[in-house]
Amino acid sequence: MKYFLLIAAFNTIILIACNNANSTTSKSENNVETKKETPVQETNTTTPVKDILTGYIQLKNALIADNGSDAAAAGNSMVGAFQKFDKSILAGNQKKTYEDVEDDAREHAEHIGKNGGNITHQREHFDMLSKDVYELVKAFNAGQALYQDSCPMYNGGKGATWLSETKEIKNPYFGKKMPSCGMVTEELK
Amino acid sequence: MSLIKKILLGFLIVMMAIQFIQPARNKNGQVMPTDISKTVNVPGNVLAVFKTACYDCHSNNTRYPWYVNIQPVGWMLAHHVKEGKEELNFSEFGSYSARRQISKLRSIENSIRDGSMPLGSYTIIHRNAQLTKEEKALIINWARLAKDSLFNRK
Ligand code: HEC
Repeated sequence: MKYFLLIAAFNTIILIACNNANSTTSKSENNVETKKETPVQETNTTTPVKDILTGYIQLKNALIADNGSDAAAAGNSMVGAFQKFDKSILAGNQKKTYEDVEDDAREHAEHIGKNGGNITHQREHFDMLSKDVYELVKAFNAGQALYQDSCPMYNGGKGATWLSETKEIKNPYFGKKMPSCGMVTEELK
Repeated sequence: MSLIKKILLGFLIVMMAIQFIQPARNKNGQVMPTDISKTVNVPGNVLAVFKTACYDCHSNNTRYPWYVNIQPVGWMLAHHVKEGKEELNFSEFGSYSARRQISKLRSIENSIRDGSMPLGSYTIIHRNAQLTKEEKALIINWARLAKDSLFNRK
C-alpha cells in the first residue's frame, strides 16, 4: 500500500513537471485563416508569392510593434499561404528555388505561429525566415516596392537582414528598444 | 470505509490499470546513413554531449530508464520523443534539405544559448544532462563551424 502511494505521488510530480514546460508554447494555434488588418501597400502587379509576402510583411510589422500574438497570427497565415501555394505550375529556377525554400520556411512560420508568448524565439525564426523569403522574392519578383534591410547588431554582432515595404528603417529584431538600427542594403523590384 | 479512502483506492486502481498500457519504444539500434555524424564533422566530445543530453528525444534511439515502465511517465516521454523528433532528428539529419540543415544548426545554437534545451522537465531527472558552461560553449562553437562548412558546400 505504502509503496503504491509513493509511486502515485511520484507520478503526479512528474506530470506536473513535464506539463508546465510545454504549456507556454502550445497555445494560439487557433487562427490559421485569420487575415490581420495591417495595411500592406498594394500595387497592380501580382506575383505568385503574394500571399506569402503579405503574411511576411504583417509578421515583420508585428515584430516592430513588439506584438507576439499578432506575429503568431501572421506566422499562421503564412503557413496557410504555403499550403495553398500551387507549385505544380512552376518550372525551371522558380521550381528549384521554391522546393529548396518551402520546408524550411514553412517550419519557421509554424514556430512563429506557436510561440505567441515568446517573441525572442519568434525573432530567431524570423531571422532565418527572412533569408528564405528573400530567395523567393528574387526568383519570383516582389510585385511591389520592397527593400532588403540589414542591422549589424542582432545575433550577438553577427547581424541579420529583413525585407520591408518602406524605405524608412524600422527594426523588427529590437522593436521599440532600438527601432532605427539598420540600413537599406538592396532595393528589390 | 471513509470517502477519502474510497477515493484513494479508486485512484490506485486507475494507476494500476494504466500500467498495462505501455507506449511503443523508440529504439532502432543502428547508426543510420543519414546520421548527423555522416553529414558534418562531429568531434567525439560534441557527440558525447548530444548523446547524454539530446539523443533521448532527438534521435531514433532513446535510452529507457527503469521508471518509464511506470505510467504516465512512459507516456510523457513518448510524447516528448515524438515532438522532439519532429523538430530535430539527429539520426535523420542527412535527409534534410541543405537549407533546413543550416536552419537546424542555427536552432541548436539558439536553443543552447537561450537555455531552452534540454527541456527543464528532463534535466530535473537526468541531472547529467544539465549542460555546464563549457559544454554550452563547446556546442555553440561547433554549431557555428558546422553551419559555415555547410554554407561553403552549397
Ligand atoms: C525531454 C526531451 C528533450 C530533450 C532531452 C531535448 N529536447 Fe530539444 N526538443 C524537445 C521537444 C519536445 C521539442 C519541440 C517543442 C519545443 O520546441 O519546445 C524540442 C525542440 C528542439 C529544437 C527546435 C527548436 C527550434 O527553435 O526550432 C532544437 C534545436 C532542439 N530541441 C535541440 C535540442 C538539443 C541540442 C538538446 C540537447 C542539448 C535537446 N534538444 C534536448 C525535447 C527534448
